[in-house]
Amino acid sequence: MAAPVDSVGKPTAERSPFNSTSFQKKTRSKLISIPGTRPSVQNGQLLVSTGVTSLDYLLGGGLAVGTVLLIEEDRYDSYSRMILKYFLAEGVVCRHELFVAAAQDNPDDILQELPAPILDDVAIHKPVDQPRLSCEPQDSLDAMKIAWRYQNLPKVQSALASTSRFGHYYDVSKTMEPEIRQAAKCHRFYLPEHPTQTSSYSALLKSLQEVIHREGFDVPRSRNILRVGLHSLGSALWGDDLSCHDNPRHSHALTTFLYGLRALLRSSLSVAVVTVPSHLIQDRALMGSITRLCDNAIALESFKGSERETNPLYKDYHGLLHVHQVPHLNCLANQLPDHKDLAFKLKRKQFTIEGFWFECSHVGATKNKHSSAMSAKEDNGPSPSPLID
Amino acid sequence: MLSELLQGTDSGGFLIIQDSSSCTGRHLLKSFINAALNREEAIHVLGFEVSEEELGEGLTTSAHQRLRFHNAYTDPLGWTDNLAFTVHQFGLEELTHLVKQTSHPKPVTLVIDSLSWILRHVSPPVVCKTLQQLKRGGAVRAIIGLLHADMHQTGTVGSICHLATSVITVAPGMKGDEAVAKITKRSKSGKVTQDEEIFSIKEDLTVIIQSKPSHLEHKQADPEEQQTDPTANLTFNLRLSDTERKAKEKLALPFMFSKEKKTALLHSGQGSGRILYEPDANDDFDQEDPDDDLDV
Repeated sequence: MAAPVDSVGKPTAERSPFNSTSFQKKTRSKLISIPGTRPSVQNGQLLVSTGVTSLDYLLGGGLAVGTVLLIEEDRYDSYSRMILKYFLAEGVVCRHELFVAAAQDNPDDILQELPAPILDDVAIHKPVDQPRLSCEPQDSLDAMKIAWRYQNLPKVQSALASTSRFGHYYDVSKTMEPEIRQAAKCHRFYLPEHPTQTSSYSALLKSLQEVIHREGFDVPRSRNILRVGLHSLGSALWGDDLSCHDNPRHSHALTTFLYGLRALLRSSLSVAVVTVPSHLIQDRALMGSITRLCDNAIALESFKGSERETNPLYKDYHGLLHVHQVPHLNCLANQLPDHKDLAFKLKRKQFTIEGFWFECSHVGATKNKHSSAMSAKEDNGPSPSPLID
Repeated sequence: MLSELLQGTDSGGFLIIQDSSSCTGRHLLKSFINAALNREEAIHVLGFEVSEEELGEGLTTSAHQRLRFHNAYTDPLGWTDNLAFTVHQFGLEELTHLVKQTSHPKPVTLVIDSLSWILRHVSPPVVCKTLQQLKRGGAVRAIIGLLHADMHQTGTVGSICHLATSVITVAPGMKGDEAVAKITKRSKSGKVTQDEEIFSIKEDLTVIIQSKPSHLEHKQADPEEQQTDPTANLTFNLRLSDTERKAKEKLALPFMFSKEKKTALLHSGQGSGRILYEPDANDDFDQEDPDDDLDV
């Protein structure tokens, strides 16, 4: 049998010495094996992770390379910014290249706020919140009290070099180490540094095209992916009056940009996440055409500041997530999520998105002390089974 | 939260007081100016809507002298050739030049009365850009602006407030001289806090904050009632005291060996046990052919 094409030229760095199995899939397919990507089980498209595993599931396994994800911002731009940071952090961990553009904050500030990835270790039995009573030195041999037979086994996936994993988890309370961040190549576009007479969007598009061409992402034999993060397009700081006036004068500026962006992405190995402050854009038809021009579209609605914040129905969650569009790439129908009412919660180590069921016992809850005590006892399991872990 | 804001915005802060025709926010703006002047800060006011005398009512004379008022009231569009401040001078370079002229060592707080006037004559994206540049730049430490929310489209008000670090929306209160302030504050870490307070302003421009509105208190009582502790009403005890925890740590579990035995077991574990298997004729068990009578 002829030797498979891939294994001959396989770079040694990809085979982590800590693999628990030496099995290598012999494949002669034309799929390029780029770290951090995997083919979709539905239509064979190359997918990348958005950094949020729940969102990957919603989008059908991940974000397809060459597509645009539109995130409609929540009112105070807290959660949409968080998802953008997850996306960029995932790019750093998978060793992709990054392109960050912003008009309000310096891209360097956004890059410094990226969350730290959680590295997988073998579970070490460590009593976290109890005081250490044993006074013997805690060296690595005594680290495990009960599972000590497994101490000498190599740790699985402890280094970031194991990029064979798809989708990582991040700890929001810590920022990424500067060494890890600087290992990734980042291209920046900060609008105040590019004072142009022409539209700022065309300057951005030109800059992106130049980066793609210079780094060789549009060449057929390219081996890496460019992750493009565009923050708050359509806001007034981009020189656009879409969000200021009900009838904007240059309503085509953003739509032409998105059209050009999608053309650029389809012809290169890149993927983009765009956030738009849709709560400021009053023209619904314009918002609809912006949604159509992007492949995936989700909208975040945070409970902060609305009357829903104190509603007991929503007390476990931080906001609602609406999926406005899912693409069908190279196939006839698309995979919509089973459940249409989705709510999200930002926990320290995970951004969870769950289907949300309305419990009948909560409706009509009176402020009577007696009945509220009763409903508290029935309240053991209001959280529905999540869509994924 | 209103009192915290009155005590001074931190640097780079942009505060907006949003009012409407039913309740004016200028008195609150004057209270902010008064509080800042009492702290001996350098204040520059761009006055478009009211004259200097009217703005200075209620301020003590010494405070009034320390206030730098840029007169944009008499001739805001520059029709006569006065040396007044015009609305077209609202740009980063000119404002920085204006503010640096006074040669004050302290960083300056810029008060804009009002942003609505500027938005009427300069396009909103340009205003947003200038405000963002002022927020970042070093000449101005903080900006306080008055915005009449009912004079503009929702998108414009939303865009300007999106840039602000704190927004106070003033609405008429129950009694005559009281007003309700809804405050939204965004910290640098992205955390958003909100509050609602009833306040009134005295003659000498000090703000008295009364209790919060009653419907807000009612809502806050509810969520606390529903959180019951599941370990509270049980017939058995689920918690550990300190002595109990120490005893638990000391307990010798059946497979907890001493350190020497552990190392002995760990290091000898390689290659000592091997399984030797010689396949037997009876072991040739084919799942699909249990009777072994297929003619293969």
